[in-house]
Amino acid sequence: MQKIIHKFVAGCLMTAKMTLAFTGAMLIATQYAHAEGQLNVYNWGDYINPDVLTRFTEDTGIEVTLDTYGTNEEMLAKIQSGATGYDIVFPSVHMRDIMQKLDLLHDAKVNTLKGFENIDPANKRSKVDPESSFCMPYAWGAVGVFYNKAEAGELKTWDDFFALPDKGKKITMLDDLRETIGVALIKNGHSVNTGDGDALKQAEAWLLERKDKISAFTYDIVSLVQAGDIAAAHWYVGATLYTLEEPDKLGFVIPEEGATMYQEDVCVLKDAPNKDSAIRFMEFYMQPEIAALNTLQQVNGTANVPARDLLPPELKANPNTNPPPEVIAKLQIFEDLGEDLRKYNRVWTKVRTAQ
Amino acid sequence: MASKRDTRRLIALLTPGTLFLGIFFLGPLAVMVIFSFLTPGLYGGVEWNFYHWNYGRILGWADGDWEEFDPVYAQIFFRSVRLAFTNVLITLLICYPAALWVSGLSVRWRTFVVFIITLPFFVSLVVRLFCWVLILRPSGFLNTTLLGLGVISEPIDIIFTETAVLIGMAYILLPFMFLPLYASIEKLDYSLLEASSDLGANPFQTFLRVTLPSTLPGIAAGAVLVFIPSLGNFIVPDLLGGAKVLMIGNLVEQQFLSARNWPFGSALSVMIMLVMFLAIVIYLRRIGRSEIVR
Repeated sequence: MQKIIHKFVAGCLMTAKMTLAFTGAMLIATQYAHAEGQLNVYNWGDYINPDVLTRFTEDTGIEVTLDTYGTNEEMLAKIQSGATGYDIVFPSVHMRDIMQKLDLLHDAKVNTLKGFENIDPANKRSKVDPESSFCMPYAWGAVGVFYNKAEAGELKTWDDFFALPDKGKKITMLDDLRETIGVALIKNGHSVNTGDGDALKQAEAWLLERKDKISAFTYDIVSLVQAGDIAAAHWYVGATLYTLEEPDKLGFVIPEEGATMYQEDVCVLKDAPNKDSAIRFMEFYMQPEIAALNTLQQVNGTANVPARDLLPPELKANPNTNPPPEVIAKLQIFEDLGEDLRKYNRVWTKVRTAQ
Repeated sequence: MASKRDTRRLIALLTPGTLFLGIFFLGPLAVMVIFSFLTPGLYGGVEWNFYHWNYGRILGWADGDWEEFDPVYAQIFFRSVRLAFTNVLITLLICYPAALWVSGLSVRWRTFVVFIITLPFFVSLVVRLFCWVLILRPSGFLNTTLLGLGVISEPIDIIFTETAVLIGMAYILLPFMFLPLYASIEKLDYSLLEASSDLGANPFQTFLRVTLPSTLPGIAAGAVLVFIPSLGNFIVPDLLGGAKVLMIGNLVEQQFLSARNWPFGSALSVMIMLVMFLAIVIYLRRIGRSEIVR
């Protein structure tokens, strides 16, 4: 969902971010005067309902500053280079594992906090912190296909998706090496976290066969799918926001062969100046009605079980945002690849360079 | 005494600039060069061990046991140089006649036109490029206009092609070609043109043998100013090329972010800088000197 942010919005955000960073720095400078009343949030762009933050300030009196990033790596690089002043971050699960290994996270004892019983055990996905002591599972969603019904008809599978270019229709995939190589791995029956060179070679060959069919590797497709310029796009479940607006025209599907999924957790940084505020925020967020308030605007999956019942029927009964267990079983989540990331990077460069 | 005071004044005047460049230009540059010889850290950053593969990889040698010989990076490099060079030619062909025309206008109009040319700088680059996505897409302005006029019967595929990348790059870099050209053409001595025609040269000969040589410094300056940002650009290939037209700038971005290989990204950046340095040296030796002599 977070990545749905168009790059041009990201451009505007850069400016806003600098302003925010500046005011953030000023606020940090003054925060010691009222140390109890401050929370500095570092989150993906558009990845939390602003009303949630407003409610938090109303309920607790704690002032919130929000700064945003566009990729996990951008956030990691900034935290690693010693950016201080942030209290909580929203890394994807594989990135929070990396951050924990790098000793960047504070053990907030999340599983002892009030409201933790609301968290779905299935959303405790970390490999290094299986009991969710460090971070709170936040939101998750599938990565499937967003399509224009007039152009693409009804889609069910990845094969349907890749058959579209033969009918003169355009398709795009994400400009993300893990996501796009991930689809190739799934189609060839491999794990999206494999380090096996032969599996990756197979995925590479599979993608190269289809390279001419793929019009672009990009995130910025919403207006193009709406206009029918692109028939179908490999995209996030956040597209539900648009499919609910125009259900006759737009659709989203989790392909039958399986797909990837994302999940972000909320973590307190080791250097967080306001750890108490951060913990109060987690307890605040674990209230079902707050998680539901966020999910309503974000249209993705929430880790909060009672919150799911509070959602309106179009989200609760939605097979994309709240998929049945047999579909969830076919979704794969990314793990940290370590050294093997280089193999993926090589495949990605070759796929993008081939002509 | 006087010369001593001059020296002191000179030192006082030069110190701030030198310090600024030393800290904010040479410092990061040194970090980049050093990083390009180190081992990549697993999660970004570097390990302080010498690593010889970074440069070898650019030429195609395999890095350890997870690559095979493949000049894929060299291919990307040459493609970038080719696109940057094409872009120089496109902007030159557009800007030269325009600059000639503008220099013939009245002073008031000239100022206005130069202002108009710099106007796009007031809007964010990414927003301007996204507008091009809307113009070039199949149901966009360009295709609907051409379809409406009956020039074409099917929407043409421009978006996400090399053509789209060239259009975008020419668009954002036009002012960098126009301004030096205009400065150079404006200085043109018109009595030389009259003399040329008095001596029996036709307009074409006059252009080729008088106008063009005297404006060569402007052409060269514009070419360097357009070539350098074209070579390192990664936003245009991303937005208008749909990330399928991979350029060296995208590769560097990929190394620093998703690939988390800072040393290889640094090595690529050093290569880009060397090519740019070469371009500037050629410019200074050929054109710069002839201008000074004149």
